[in-house]
Amino acid sequence: MTESTGTARPFFLWKHLNKLRWLVLATVFSMLVALPFLYLYQTYVAAHAYDLLAPSEKRLYDVMETLTSPFVSDPAEDLDAIKGNTWSGNFFGYKISDPLAVLGQMAASLSFNGTLLLTALIPVLATLLFGRFYCGWICPATFLYELNSNLAVLLRRIGLHTGNHRLDRRIKYLVLGVGLLLSMASGAVLVASIYPPAIVGRELFYGIALGGFGAGTAFFVGTLLFDLLVARRGFCRYLCPGGALYSLLGRFRPVRIRRIVEQCNDCAKCNVVCEFGLDPMRDDFGQECNNCTACIAVCPTDAMTFTLSFHDLPDQGPGHLGKRWQREHARPRQEEAA
Amino acid sequence: MKRRTLLKWAALAAAAAATPTLAPAARNRPSLRYLRPPGHWSEEEFLERCIRCGQCGQICPNRCINYFGLENGAASLDTPYIIPREKGCILCMKCGEVCPTGAIPKIRRTAEDIIDGVRMGKARVDTRLCLSYQGKTCGVCYRACPLQDVAIRVGMLEQPQVLDACVGCGLCERSCIQMPQAIRIIPYRG
Repeated sequence: MTESTGTARPFFLWKHLNKLRWLVLATVFSMLVALPFLYLYQTYVAAHAYDLLAPSEKRLYDVMETLTSPFVSDPAEDLDAIKGNTWSGNFFGYKISDPLAVLGQMAASLSFNGTLLLTALIPVLATLLFGRFYCGWICPATFLYELNSNLAVLLRRIGLHTGNHRLDRRIKYLVLGVGLLLSMASGAVLVASIYPPAIVGRELFYGIALGGFGAGTAFFVGTLLFDLLVARRGFCRYLCPGGALYSLLGRFRPVRIRRIVEQCNDCAKCNVVCEFGLDPMRDDFGQECNNCTACIAVCPTDAMTFTLSFHDLPDQGPGHLGKRWQREHARPRQEEAA
Repeated sequence: MKRRTLLKWAALAAAAAATPTLAPAARNRPSLRYLRPPGHWSEEEFLERCIRCGQCGQICPNRCINYFGLENGAASLDTPYIIPREKGCILCMKCGEVCPTGAIPKIRRTAEDIIDGVRMGKARVDTRLCLSYQGKTCGVCYRACPLQDVAIRVGMLEQPQVLDACVGCGLCERSCIQMPQAIRIIPYRG
């Protein structure tokens, strides 16, 4: 205890980043839910036929008119400013695409698409800086997958068995490679069909605006069941092609989470809470840490912090507040004192 | 451990060997008659450009763009299509503005640019079904056409003749009062 006085405590706001992350995830997801409704409202406006709408459509029209009228004068045109989803979207004239979409499109066409590449510039730069942050902070599928993880906890509490197998994390790189190969061979961007965030964005639109969920929903429900029955967050950990690409891009990210060994007491709460099955307690973050800050939030002794470094520290050994370290180091000091 | 790596490589080799056989299976079936959103690519070129983001359907004010499930093969999964008899394209050209990959090219909304740049298909009149050719003056398709006298012309008894400038928007097929429709869009497939 006495030694820890000299070490730096992590910046106090980092403990609360996990709440901010949930807020961001919920915002992205609710925007994906809101956009189809806004679209329907736009089409009603464009049709100039309020009297012909069904009662439920009229209600939607009225609600959307109330919500948007302070911000737009001509809904049919002005609401076009925000379109799309996290796979590829338009935001006030700026186009942003998922790097996997760009890679998949280039693989399918076997040609260089400069304008499309530019749309992925911001995500790629952010990933080079923050690593796989997309997976924890933005991905609309993550929002549902984390709720699914919480559901698994509830199920376990009432005595139902949920799967928690460990598979090889490198499978997802194989999925990425095979997905790109298949895109190349078929000349169609097939990776879009096995990538959950793209599926969630599309299917929400199909379900709300086009009147029915498509084939992607079946796939996505399959991944939810896989997570529930086979491995916690199994799709993200072991199979997601986008996660693989982001991991590779974020391998040498400068913004990392580090364990302060002097304040760690080996309670292993970080390892339990880590959605990606990493080993923060033994300094094993690797390229697959998505900086979700769940381990920072859960740490009871403030032993997790952010650091600027291109590499993780090698295993720093047991935490200095833990029993094992104190057993190994306390005795000689007592002898000295005696 | 060695057996594991061997299995891994075997799986990889199997996947690599399966790709050429899977590719034709993923190809779409030509029996469905659908249009792609207003552009000029062949079906192959369209598929290798489209990343299935769904923005064209989110911006279409006419709600004519729909998305494939698996009914047209895995290669067309989640790609946009238009069934002209259900709803034609009003050539507002918004989908081309929003498309990030150029699968739907950017085309300005002027008659010249649309005639030059859009090639969704071409209308064809079935004179055995067309009311005007049966002596009952109709001309609805001509009235529905956004490129009147450029893409379609009517002669005696409002008998329609499709001209070369037809871009295949499908508004004529949508509006045809004959059942089944006497004018149909033959999609451009390249």
